[in-house]
Amino acid sequence: MKALFKPQVLGAGFLLAAAGALALYGQPDLEQKWEFMAPEYASRLEYREVYIDPAELLHLMNDDYIELLIYDVRDERDWNIFHLVDSERIDLADLPSQRKRLEGLSEMGVVVVVSNDEILATRAWKQLMALAKPNVYILEGGINHWLNVYGIVDDEHQGHDTASLARPDGTLRHPFKLALGARHAAARPDEHRVPQRRYTAKVKLLKKVVKAGGCG
Amino acid sequence: MAPFDLVALLGVTGSYLVYLGIGFGFGFILESSGFGDSRKLAAQFYFRELRVLKVMFTAIVVAMLLVFWASALGLLDYDEIMVKETWLWPGIVGGLIMGVGFILGGYCPGTSLVSVATLKVDGMFFLLGHVVGVLAFGESVGYINEFWNSSYMGRFILPELLGLDTGVVVLLVVCLALVMFLGFGWIQRIIYGRGDPE
Amino acid sequence: MNELSDKIRYWNPYVGGTLLGVLLFLSFFLTSHGLGASGGVNRIAVAVQDIVVPEHVDKSPYLAQMAGGDMDPLRHWIVLEVVGVLLGGFTSGMLRGRVRLQTYHGPQITPHTRWAFAFAGGILMGYGARLARGCTSGQALSGGAVLSVGSWAFMFAVFAGGYGLAWFVRRLWQPGA
Repeated sequence: MKALFKPQVLGAGFLLAAAGALALYGQPDLEQKWEFMAPEYASRLEYREVYIDPAELLHLMNDDYIELLIYDVRDERDWNIFHLVDSERIDLADLPSQRKRLEGLSEMGVVVVVSNDEILATRAWKQLMALAKPNVYILEGGINHWLNVYGIVDDEHQGHDTASLARPDGTLRHPFKLALGARHAAARPDEHRVPQRRYTAKVKLLKKVVKAGGCG
Repeated sequence: MAPFDLVALLGVTGSYLVYLGIGFGFGFILESSGFGDSRKLAAQFYFRELRVLKVMFTAIVVAMLLVFWASALGLLDYDEIMVKETWLWPGIVGGLIMGVGFILGGYCPGTSLVSVATLKVDGMFFLLGHVVGVLAFGESVGYINEFWNSSYMGRFILPELLGLDTGVVVLLVVCLALVMFLGFGWIQRIIYGRGDPE
Repeated sequence: MNELSDKIRYWNPYVGGTLLGVLLFLSFFLTSHGLGASGGVNRIAVAVQDIVVPEHVDKSPYLAQMAGGDMDPLRHWIVLEVVGVLLGGFTSGMLRGRVRLQTYHGPQITPHTRWAFAFAGGILMGYGARLARGCTSGQALSGGAVLSVGSWAFMFAVFAGGYGLAWFVRRLWQPGA
C-alpha cells in the first residue's frame, strides 16, 4: 500500500489525470476560440474596419496581382439565383476544412466573405479569424447592397430593394425571375462602364509571418 | 492571449533580456541535472543511467500539458506559437547522424555549452567540432539542396497525422512516456541488476 | 566517477525534467518559441565567417539569408539564449564547485582519445543539426512538446542512431572488459 504513494507513482498518476482531464475538456472550437480572441479583434468589426464597399470588391476582382478568395456563405437557393463570378459557396460548418488553404495563401492573398446582408458573413469572419487569421474582409451590405449598386433592372432582375439596408434580415430581397447564378450582368460588372463610387479603401496586404521554425 | 509581441512590449533590449533569462534557466537546470557530464549522457545508451530519458520526456510531457491546458483555457493561442515544420527525411537522416554524434561525442549542442561553461575540455573539443560541422554544412548544402528541401509537410502535428483529437494525443504521449520509463527501467534491471538510485 | 556521491549532488531527473518543462512552457508563453541551441552556435560560426570572408557569405544563398550584406547574424534571439545557457551553466557549476578544468572520459580510454572522439562527434552533431533544422533542444524537446510530427520522427532517429552504434563503441564509455 505504501508503494502506491511513492512520489513517482503519484507523479505519474497526476500526469495521467491532467492528460485525461484535458482530453475530456477539449481544445477550443472556432466559436470558443473567437471568444478568447474577441478582446483583441472585435474592434475591427465595431469600427467597421473590415467591411468593404462593393466598389472596392469590384476593384479587387479586377486586380491581377491579388490572390482573391471570395467565400459566399449563403444557402444553395440564393446561390443559384445570383452569385458573384469567381466566388465559392461554402457553409459555415465547412469553414474548418479551409485551414490549410488559408495558411497557404501568399502575401497577395485577400479573402472576402459575402452573404445577403452582413449577418452570416460576420459570423463567418469571426470563425475564419479563429481558424487561421487570414487577411479577410466582409462585403458591406452584402449581396443586397451589391445589387442596389450594380444591379440592372431588366427582365431577369426585376427591381431594386432600396430599403434593403434598413431591414437586414439575411434574405435576398431582390426579386429575380430566373435563377442565373453568375450569369447575370451584375455578377461581374464592367469596372469601366459602371458609375465610379467614392469609397474608403480598407484592404491592406499583410506581411506573412511564418509561425514555425526557430533554430535559425 | 499569449504569446505576446515581446519587442512591442519590452523593446528590443527588453526582449533580449528575456531570452537571456530563459537561456540562463535552461543552462542552470541542465547543469544541475548533471547534463554537463558526457559520461552521464552517454550512459543512457548503455542503460546504465536513464537520466537523459527521464529529463527529456518529463520536460516534454510537462510542457505539453501546460501548453495545451493554457490553450484550452484561452490563455495561449496554439496557432501563434512556433511549431517546428516537418521536413521528414532530412529530419530523420539528420537525427540518425546526431545519434551517432551523440554516442561518439558524448554531448548534444545544448549540453556541450553547459560543459564548456564548467571548463570541461572534452566539451570544448566537441563544441569546436560542432562549429566545423556547421561550417561544413554551410559549404556543402548546395550539393544536397534537393534532399534538404524534400519531404516538406509544413506545420504538421501528430493529431493531424493520427486523425485523433489533440487531447487524446496528449494522453497517448503521457502514456508513452510512462511506458518508456517503466520499460527502460526494466531493461536496466535486467542488464545491471539494479535501477537508477532515485 | 562516484555514482553515489553524484546522486547527492545532482538533481533528481524527474525534478529537473519538471522544471525544464515549466521553463519550456514559459518560453512558448512569453516568446512564442521553444528553446534552442544549435542555431545559436550556427549563427556565431556564420558571424565569424562573415568577418573573415564576407564576399563568400554574400554569394551563398544559405549563408546570405543569415548574414548577407549588412545583416548581423547575431541579432537573433537564439544567440542571446546560447549566451544565457553558458551563464546559467557556469553559475550552477560555480555554486556546486563543479567548475574545474578537466576531461570527462570513460575509464577505458585516455583524455586524448576522448578529445578526438568529442571533436568527431561534434562535427557530426553540427552537420546533423543543420540537416535536421534543429537539435535535441529545439527539435526533440520544443518541437516534441507541441506535437510536431517531424520533431518526433527526429527524436526517435536520434535514439536509434545512438543505441544502434552504442555497442560498437562501448570501449569509449563502459567500465571494465
